[in-house]
Amino acid sequence: MLARTIERVGRAARDAIEGLGRAGRFAAESALAVRDVRTWWPQAMPQAMELGVRSLPIGAFIAVFTGIVLALLASYSVSGAVPLYFVGTLVEKTVTMELAPVLTGLALAGRVGANIAAELGTMRVTEQIDALETLAYDSRSYLVVPRVLAGTIMFPVVVAVAMLIGVGSGWLASVALLDMSSPEFVKGLRLFFSAFDVRYGLIKAASFGAAVTFVGCFVGINAAGGARGVGRAATRAVVLAATLILVLDAFWAVVLLTGREPL
Amino acid sequence: MKRVSDFAVGGTIVVVAAALVMATLWLNQTELRRRDELVALFRDVGNARVGAPLVIRGVRSGRLQSMELDDTWVRVRFSLDRDVAVPNDPVVLLNESSLFGEWQATVLEREALPRDVDVRRQIAEADAAGGDVPGATLPDIAQLTAVAGRIAGDVAALADRVDTAFDAAAARELRLSIRNFARMSTVLSEAARAQSVNLDSAATDVRIGVRSLLSAADRVRDVAARFDSSTARGEVNRIVQDAGEAARQLRQASANVLRLSGQLDTAQARLVSVLANSDSMVQGLRAGQGSLGLFLTDSSLYYQADSLLTQLRRLVADVQANPRKYLRVSVF
Repeated sequence: MLARTIERVGRAARDAIEGLGRAGRFAAESALAVRDVRTWWPQAMPQAMELGVRSLPIGAFIAVFTGIVLALLASYSVSGAVPLYFVGTLVEKTVTMELAPVLTGLALAGRVGANIAAELGTMRVTEQIDALETLAYDSRSYLVVPRVLAGTIMFPVVVAVAMLIGVGSGWLASVALLDMSSPEFVKGLRLFFSAFDVRYGLIKAASFGAAVTFVGCFVGINAAGGARGVGRAATRAVVLAATLILVLDAFWAVVLLTGREPL
Repeated sequence: MKRVSDFAVGGTIVVVAAALVMATLWLNQTELRRRDELVALFRDVGNARVGAPLVIRGVRSGRLQSMELDDTWVRVRFSLDRDVAVPNDPVVLLNESSLFGEWQATVLEREALPRDVDVRRQIAEADAAGGDVPGATLPDIAQLTAVAGRIAGDVAALADRVDTAFDAAAARELRLSIRNFARMSTVLSEAARAQSVNLDSAATDVRIGVRSLLSAADRVRDVAARFDSSTARGEVNRIVQDAGEAARQLRQASANVLRLSGQLDTAQARLVSVLANSDSMVQGLRAGQGSLGLFLTDSSLYYQADSLLTQLRRLVADVQANPRKYLRVSVF
C-alpha cells in the first residue's frame, strides 16, 4: 500500500517534470523557429486579425461594465471618508493596472486559448500537422510562432482599448449616476496618474498574450485521442492559461511594484 | 482577404496606440506647446510632484513642470497658462492643498507672505542665493500632526500631574475652602451693611456735631462781642477779683473735703472693724457658740423658752386674777 502510494507520487512528479521538459523544449524550438520569418510572417496578420481585432468587442464589452461597476463601487467605498474625486483615481488605477489586463486576459484565455488548442488539436488528430512536417514545413514556424507573436502584440492592443473604454465608462457612470461633475472626475483621474500605470498594464497584457497563445499551441499540438482528446485539450488550455495569467499577474506585481517609490 | 487583414490589424494597432498615447499625454498634462515659465528656488519641496497645480490668487494658472536637485537647492520649473500675469515681486509657496497628500504651488506678492518666521527665513535664504524666484515650503499635515501630537502628550502629562496633585482630599479641602469663603463673604457683606448703617449714624452725628460747633462758634462770637463790650466798662477787673475769691473758696472747700475724706477713712476703718466683729459674731452664732448661738441653733431651747413664756403668761394672768393667792399683805 505504502509502496504503491510512493510509486504514484513518483509518477506524478515524473509526469510534471516531463511536462515541464516538453514545454521547455517546445518553447526553445518555437524561439528558434522565429528565425524562419518567411514561413510565419504570412500567417501572422491573419492570426493577429483573429486573435486581436476580432477580440476587441469582447474586451470592450467587459471594460464597459467593469468601469461602471468600479465607479459605483469606489463611490460606495470611499464616499464620506475621502473626497468624491478619488473615484476617478480609483477607477484609473484599478482599470489600467489590474482589471483591464486580467479580465481581458481571462476572457481571451477562453476565447483564444480554447480556439488555438481546438484548432491545432484537430490538426494533430487529423494528421494535418504530420502532413505539414512531411512537406518539410516546420510546424513551429508555421503554426506556433505566428500565433504567439500575434497574441503577444495584439493582447496589449485589446487591453489598451479596454483601458480606454473602462475609464471612459467609469467617467460616464460617475457623471450620470453619482453626484459628481466631469472636472471632479478628471481631477481624480490626473491626481495620481503616471505613465507607468499604462506601461505596467501593457507589459502584463503582452505576457498574458504570450502565455495564452503558447499554452494553446502546446496543448493543441500535443493533443491525442480523437475528438475527445481535442475537447480535453481545449479545456486544459483554458485552465492552464487562466492559471498562468494569475501567476504572471502576481509575478509582475512583485517584479515591477515592489520597491517602487509611491507617487 | 490577406490585405484586408493587414489593414484591419495595422489600423487597429495605430488607432489604439494613438489613442493610448494621447490619453496618457492628456492625463499627464504634458505640454506640447512652449509656454511661459517661472523658475523658483526651494530648500525643500515637501511632497510636491510634477503636475502639481500652480495657483495665483486661488485660480489655477499652471503646473509644476520639473524639479532639478542642486547641491543645496531644488530648482522648480513651473509652466504658466497663456495670458497669466505673475504678481510683482513674486514669491512661491509650496503647500498641501488637501488632507490627502495633494500639493500645490501658490504664487503671491512678497508683501502678502504669511507672518511665519520660518517661511520668511526660507524666502530670505532663497533671495540671498539669488537668480530665481524665491520659494518656501509650508509644513505638511504630517509635521503639523507630529507637533500636535507632542502638544497633546505635554497636555496629557500636565493633566496627569494635576490629577496626582488634585486628589480627593484636595478636592474636599477646596470645597471646604470655597464654602468658608462663601460664609466669610456673607459675614463681610453683613458687616459692611452694619458698618454702613453705623457710618450713616456717624455721618448724622458728625452733621449734628458740626451744627453744634457752628452754634458754639456763634456763641463764642457773642461772648467775644460781650467781652469786647465789658472790657470797655471795667467789668473785667471785677470778674477777675470774683474769680480769685471763688478760687480761694474753692481751695478752702477742697481742704475741708480733704479733711472730711480723712475722717471718712477713719470711720470706714471703724466700720470695717465693726463689720469684721459682727461677721465673726454672726459666724459664732451660726456655729451655735454662746447662749445666743445655742438659742438660735438649738430648737429645743426655743421650744422651752416658748413654753416658759406661755407659763409666764398664764402665771401673770393667774396673778392678776388671784393676787391674794400670791401676795399676802399683812400689816402686822
